Amino acid sequence: MKNLIGIVGTNSDNSTNRQLLQFIQKHFSGKANIEVCEIKDLPGFNKPKDREAPVEVQKLSDKIEEADGVIISTPEYNHSVPAALKSTLEWLSYTTQPLIDKAVMITGASYGRLGSSRSQAHLRQMLDAPELKARIMPSSEFLLGFSLQAFEENGDLKDKSKIEELEGIFDDFIQFVDITNQLVNAKSTHKKQAQQFSWEDH
Amino acid sequence: MKIVGIVGSNADFSYNRLLLNFIAKKFDKLIDVEVLDIADVPMFNQSNDQTNSDVIQNLNKKILAADGVIIATPEYNHSIPSALQSVLEWLSFKIHPLDGKPVMIVGASYDVQGSSRSQLHLRQILDAPGVNAVVMPGNEFLLGEVHKAFDQERNLKDKETTQFLETCIKKFIRFINVVNVMHSPEGMKDLSSTEDLYATGSIDTTIKDINMLDDDWVEQAAEKTNAADGNTYVKLNRGILTVDQINYFLDSMPAELTFADSNNQFLYYNYKYEAEDMLAARRPEQVGNPLAECHPERAYSSVAWVIQQLRTGKEDVVRTHVPTHGPDKFVVHSYQAVRDDDGNYLGINEYVRDIKPIIDWYLEQTGQQLTGGGVDAVSGATSKVDSVSGATVKDN
Repeated sequence: MKNLIGIVGTNSDNSTNRQLLQFIQKHFSGKANIEVCEIKDLPGFNKPKDREAPVEVQKLSDKIEEADGVIISTPEYNHSVPAALKSTLEWLSYTTQPLIDKAVMITGASYGRLGSSRSQAHLRQMLDAPELKARIMPSSEFLLGFSLQAFEENGDLKDKSKIEELEGIFDDFIQFVDITNQLVNAKSTHKKQAQQFSWEDH
Repeated sequence: MKIVGIVGSNADFSYNRLLLNFIAKKFDKLIDVEVLDIADVPMFNQSNDQTNSDVIQNLNKKILAADGVIIATPEYNHSIPSALQSVLEWLSFKIHPLDGKPVMIVGASYDVQGSSRSQLHLRQILDAPGVNAVVMPGNEFLLGEVHKAFDQERNLKDKETTQFLETCIKKFIRFINVVNVMHSPEGMKDLSSTEDLYATGSIDTTIKDINMLDDDWVEQAAEKTNAADGNTYVKLNRGILTVDQINYFLDSMPAELTFADSNNQFLYYNYKYEAEDMLAARRPEQVGNPLAECHPERAYSSVAWVIQQLRTGKEDVVRTHVPTHGPDKFVVHSYQAVRDDDGNYLGINEYVRDIKPIIDWYLEQTGQQLTGGGVDAVSGATSKVDSVSGATVKDN
């Protein structure tokens, strides 16, 4: 069975993205071990000279390193991903770089109709940056709109067709993890590029 | 014009901060830039509302009071830094100071990209309904390989880059004016933005590369153009005079004459009396200034209205009477359009005079009298006059 982690893309106390990851964790427990991870206790990124990862960042980084794949669930703030998630990615890219060539699946939930479509597009572009270089599963948008009304009291998604859609994407992701591990040709280049990426004073 | 510059990074050293400081210093004649840092802004968290903290309220107030905002962003992971993102989240959560605010984006980066991708993200973010800024299109200023871009005095080394930046800044000033017009309520109370009173553009006759605000603009411009003076003959329509003769001729005109060109630059007045002895005060060192520098800000709307009447051909002359000189003077300011043979607007001939001696003389000669009631001898083309601000006509 695969070991995955799910990253809640917000520091908010109440989050339907957290609910979505918890549902995924429960619903697919027969297919993968999924740990839901929080970013709310991470400090804000400030580009420290020593390039040391703070303890909380190191913990998250270790979990990513050990996991077979990562699911990131993002809300949408101002057409983009929340600053808290951005900050997390900045820490990871600036210090330990555990996402290089890691299989990543993106989901997202929003209160409105659009379901985080634009923040998911931003997140894809960010994960593709040379200093992150994750392997993002292509053609697999999972957008959960009207997320406040989307869940039963027991945490299950109400809409059966949405569950089916998610099941399809999730099964693909399990395969995508395997395929990604076979993609080795660019790995050394990615590592080198990421390490050489200049974080000098922007 | 008041501009707030926001440093899009919370790092101790930032080339984007350097870039904003350079803009503030280099273009201080055009805009008044205050550079603000965001390092002390806490990470946005909707479960822990800190909108009322001093640091966020300070940003809020400064942005609200500004005519426009310049944001300088680095690029982290193909996007803007979380620190800047967090600021924009605070400024779109409970408060919305950027709503309708003209914004210009610049960016510097260590690599060749010059923050190209983060600038695109920033545009989309600023366009979100909660932020709702009005971002200037085009005029992308991308400063790549920034570690090589500045000299020891922290000025941009490359002349062409600086020139392009100046073009962008001047366009931003115009953009702010356009946005203001767009946001004016029906019936537009403030017309100041209909004219480029800061003379940021140029026309064929504009004498370039001399600071319009310099006290010795005339001397510098004369040297640069090798201007004729003294006994040099000048051919006119119709006749020939020396420059001295033209000067004395204009000095003998029974009015204070002023010429401002179609770029709204004050180019000439028939300097005969010192400011305190004039009906409409002028000082020799003002010549060369943009019209914005020659009027108080509250008069801008009226000045722009007058110029618009002339520029668009709606009127050939706009007059106002200024009763503040007391009952023994009938002071009239006339703004006469100067046009070429094809009718193109070239500028304003403003002539100011006290017409009372003429009226008195005429009445005496003809045995007539001024009577009350319907006669209003001194008001000309318009009665919508603001007598306090002098060179002005107000909208209702």
